[in-house]
Amino acid sequence: MKKRLAQAEFALVSAIFIAIVMLVFVASIMRTFGHPVMWSVDMAQLLFIWLCFFGAIRAMRQRGHLGVDLFVRLAPHRYRLIIETAVGLIFCAMLAVLAVEGYDLTILNKQRQFGDSGISYAFVTIAVPVGSVILGGTIIYNIIDAWRHRRAEQILVYSLPEESSESIPPVTTSPTTKQDI
Amino acid sequence: MLLIGSIFLFFLIIGAPVAFAIGLSGFTFFVTSDVMPLSIGVQKIAAVSQSFPLLAVPFFVLAGHLMNESGITDRLFKFSNIAVSWMAGGLAQVSIILSTLMGGISGSAVADAAMEARVIGPKMIENGYSKGFSAAVIALSSLITATIPPSIGLILYGYVGNVSIGRLFLAGIIPGVLMMIVLMVTAYIIAKKRNYVAKDARKPTVRELAVAFWEAKWALLFPVLLIITIRGGLFTPSEVGSFAVVYAVFVGIFSHRELGFADIKRALADAISDIGMIMLIILMSGMVGFAITFLQVPQTVSSALLSGLSNPTAIVAAILGILFVAGLFVESTVLVLLLTPIFVPIIKQLGVDPVHFGILMMTLVTLGSMTPPVGVAMYTVCAIMNVRVEHYVRESLPFLAAILLLVFALLMLPDLVLFLPRLAF
Repeated sequence: MKKRLAQAEFALVSAIFIAIVMLVFVASIMRTFGHPVMWSVDMAQLLFIWLCFFGAIRAMRQRGHLGVDLFVRLAPHRYRLIIETAVGLIFCAMLAVLAVEGYDLTILNKQRQFGDSGISYAFVTIAVPVGSVILGGTIIYNIIDAWRHRRAEQILVYSLPEESSESIPPVTTSPTTKQDI
Repeated sequence: MLLIGSIFLFFLIIGAPVAFAIGLSGFTFFVTSDVMPLSIGVQKIAAVSQSFPLLAVPFFVLAGHLMNESGITDRLFKFSNIAVSWMAGGLAQVSIILSTLMGGISGSAVADAAMEARVIGPKMIENGYSKGFSAAVIALSSLITATIPPSIGLILYGYVGNVSIGRLFLAGIIPGVLMMIVLMVTAYIIAKKRNYVAKDARKPTVRELAVAFWEAKWALLFPVLLIITIRGGLFTPSEVGSFAVVYAVFVGIFSHRELGFADIKRALADAISDIGMIMLIILMSGMVGFAITFLQVPQTVSSALLSGLSNPTAIVAAILGILFVAGLFVESTVLVLLLTPIFVPIIKQLGVDPVHFGILMMTLVTLGSMTPPVGVAMYTVCAIMNVRVEHYVRESLPFLAAILLLVFALLMLPDLVLFLPRLAF
């Protein structure tokens, strides 16, 4: 089920991405030959925010969001887990507020049109609440995952475990590097 | 502003993802403001995605991953290897040249450093180069990618500071090439002194060089095409980005015959995660960016700076000093997003070309990723090559000095940076 969902999500966001590339590519080719297509770039622009949010959700699932871990890197796993849970929950609270506000805004904006394409601008603003809810859900899923496996001390909420030079097992580098000089 | 700033620093220090820290600090502004409703904050997030220049970011990220999958990295490595490995410190020279060539394909310093640490790092150590020296060359040479087009950092700078991305791309070429030369000379001097020469070192024949060049022609042609299409503003960088994606797929499938369905899928997956990471930071910065303008931070900072110093060059030097120090602690994307709106109005007031300033700024904030205490490229390379940070730091000092000297020269000689953009636009 989980795997299916991830596959479906990947298929969807890939389709969005490829569509954006083709829309911009075709539009600039057409423009060169004197047949500008205005709606094409508008459409790409409209899909862009969906690509951003779905990409952010994917990166969150892989715990790939960059942070400065200088001051917490050496802290014991238990403290890091508590800090990350607290930060994750605070961010989720913000996302919840953004989702509510974004939903209201979308309802308010339904009439506003996007460029002269006839597509409602609501399709852009709705990405904020939808993206926020799924991103928040992913963070909560990560929190539950991390607490369920807390004894193994391997999984955190948004960072990957320890990667400093001391703890990297030599097996991960290619064998030649082991010949010390 | 103090509250917003301290919230940002607090979350940064406790290790929260940068996107969280930026989002929460901007959010605080809207929550505490009496005049600004939160719905404006949501609008600012959505508005970021409506910038056409920003579309160049996902395009060039995807093009970079596609080219990697299609064997371009391999060919560039072979070409650099044949071209310069016979020199003193040959493998170090290969690493520096390869960074320059890779800079023309992907815009990420960390990705370049990680790749070279895997490909060239073990060979350097095998050939008797000290571990610290090898890691230092690999990490610091990846700085070249920061200015060679297409550079993601320069796209962001152009977007936030409202500066022509096409001009920025052209302006980055000469500083990038100069950086390559400066690093190569430094590596040459050190290698000569320590006698780092490969046993089977010999100059390549013209024929060998030509064959390697021909093998890598599509990869070497790419940056040239990029510059030709952007020149004169015929196509926007975002349009060129979409060309780059199509080009990478065509070269991979039809010429190199190395790009299969699975490779494309992998490139897409990696690109989507990278884009999600970068773009969440950028979307979230929509709120705090608005706060910075609304609270007139640029005006406050500029009056403080202008009252203390009077010489324009001294002020720019002071700003660059601030950027260098900030770069030591904070990731470059974040600095570009937060500090560009503050500093660009100031330097414009002083009569400095924002294109010139952008190149200097990009170099300095990216340099922070190669130095302690917070250097993503440094940690990545040291972890992959199993090098102690102390050794890395000691061996990187001569390179660091050379880079800072070059930045100083670029500051004093704006024409060096602005020559190409003036010629083309």
